[in-house]
Amino acid sequence: MTGTLILQGVASGLVTGSVYALIALSLVIVFKSTEVINFAGGEFVMLGAYVAMFFLVLLGLPYIIVVPVVALIVFCIGAAFDRVILDRVLGRHRPGQSIMVAMVIATVGLSFAFKGTVRLFRVSDNVRTLPPIFSTDPVFLGQVVLSRQDIAIFVIAVAVMVLLFSFFQFTKLGRALRATSENPRAATLVGIPVRRMRTLIWGIAAALSAVAGVLVAPKLLVSPDMGGVIILAFAAAIIGGFTNVLGVIVGGVVLGVIENLVGLFVSSKAIAIAPFIVIILILMVRPQGLFGGAAPIKKV
Amino acid sequence: MAAIDRRWWIGGAGLVVVAAGLYLGAPIYVLYVANLLMTYAVLAIGLDVLLGRAGQFAFAHIAFYGIGIYTTALITNNTSLPVFVGIIAGGLLAGLVGIVIAIPATRLRDVYLALATFAFAEAAQWVFNNWDSVTKGPNGLRISSAKLFGYTITNDREAFFLVLFITLLVVAATAFIARSKLGRAMSAIGDSEHVAMASGVGVQRVKVTAFAISAIYAGVAGGMFTLYQSFIHPDSLGFDLIVLILTMVVVGGVGSMPGVILGVLLLGLMPEVLRNLREWQELIYGLILILAVLFMPRGIWGLITDRRQARQARNPAARPAPVEDAP
Repeated sequence: MTGTLILQGVASGLVTGSVYALIALSLVIVFKSTEVINFAGGEFVMLGAYVAMFFLVLLGLPYIIVVPVVALIVFCIGAAFDRVILDRVLGRHRPGQSIMVAMVIATVGLSFAFKGTVRLFRVSDNVRTLPPIFSTDPVFLGQVVLSRQDIAIFVIAVAVMVLLFSFFQFTKLGRALRATSENPRAATLVGIPVRRMRTLIWGIAAALSAVAGVLVAPKLLVSPDMGGVIILAFAAAIIGGFTNVLGVIVGGVVLGVIENLVGLFVSSKAIAIAPFIVIILILMVRPQGLFGGAAPIKKV
Repeated sequence: MAAIDRRWWIGGAGLVVVAAGLYLGAPIYVLYVANLLMTYAVLAIGLDVLLGRAGQFAFAHIAFYGIGIYTTALITNNTSLPVFVGIIAGGLLAGLVGIVIAIPATRLRDVYLALATFAFAEAAQWVFNNWDSVTKGPNGLRISSAKLFGYTITNDREAFFLVLFITLLVVAATAFIARSKLGRAMSAIGDSEHVAMASGVGVQRVKVTAFAISAIYAGVAGGMFTLYQSFIHPDSLGFDLIVLILTMVVVGGVGSMPGVILGVLLLGLMPEVLRNLREWQELIYGLILILAVLFMPRGIWGLITDRRQARQARNPAARPAPVEDAP
């Protein structure tokens, strides 16, 4: 009996974990190329869900059209944030001073601005859900039960990851983006417009979070505070050492599974604290993350 | 030197007049706001010790504030000890927890420090919410009136001078620390850890000390809160409060005490002014943070001191040429 329960927990965990992995990926690609931890990452997820709600419920469009449209809209918002704000903060930065503080403050400000904006609309007064992506009919995989929607979420999340991976691996633009995050100076030398690449990365990361938001929205509740899901992505990113992309994906899935198993075997109250304990434990024992490799030495 | 001394005297006299005026004439609600602002000031000064002077970005401040509130409240509720025992205990316990957190956390790179302390703050809020037998969890904890030398402090007016006294103590202690060897070591770390280390500053030890001082301040602020409040709920100890305090520090001026106090006054009074725009508050705070980072990296105080320096250097030739930033 316990065996089935564990299997069930792992299966449900894989579904939510794949979405956490998407959000964590968006944090990591931003961090790799700009050294900024995006505290507004959760609000991009929330924006994605609300923009999707607008198109799905008010305009009655199908998911197949809504997902790309949401991705495009939130892409523009993310890119604009980098262009209009972060770019200027960087430009003002005096060498030798830590830029991190200013950047984190800017993203915290953005997160509050987004939450505040959404709260101004009356839709946000009540917690809502999005219509199911797929039917919620149960599917039996051996002894494990998932809904068809769960499977759709998992498949879409994996597809997005594969798409992203191919983009970074096989296209010229993707390789230029990777070069920018590996070494901005060398990238400038070979003629890559580093500033534009950074803006692009912000856009892609925002779009990624927004798609994740559309995917979790039928499962989580849509509210201005749903950006709190970011803490799970932080934990996933820390498992991956904030640099190792595969490690981050594994981290996301592991967190989804942990969350489900804690809910099944410990208590539903303890779910909320699981990611924090993961973060604190990992940072204490292996600050470079489980997959981070040796701690990088920072040059002065 | 004489000019500085005179400024101190004028400032001190002004403070006495304002304090006496508030105590004697102000309605009780104004005194409540004054008490609250002073509590925020102690919180903000504590955050600035860590952020502005030692350059360490940490989000754990509200957790220490909560520890201070609950410790003092529990001592007040369950014993008849004078309230300063509770406040000192709250400060010390917060400082102790701060040291325990700081020893591993300050070894981390700056971004991870922010994340680790963020996780700790959320975990602490979870504990306040779920440790029912001690904190009464989501029902909130009633705080009985503080007792001091046979008196019972029952309202904001009676608490006012005690809160003011603690605030002044904290301000004086911070000014003293800033001038001490420790304060200079902290600024050195804030400027550049590598240079500080090469100059023989015990970086790790100083960071832990800064963390502990910051936590003690937050714990004491928690004790101050119990003097004039009769109820605490874990929901009020969330991320929103740390963002409010952070906004005060950033808008006022990171790394300067007059700036921080200015920030506390401006942003602390804002909810009173914008009372009818409650639903706009979150958006406004967010925009203020972004605009502050964009247009005044050293806060309002930075703008003021820049202008003063410009006035002193009337002769343009005496001014150093602006340094062009490398791209």
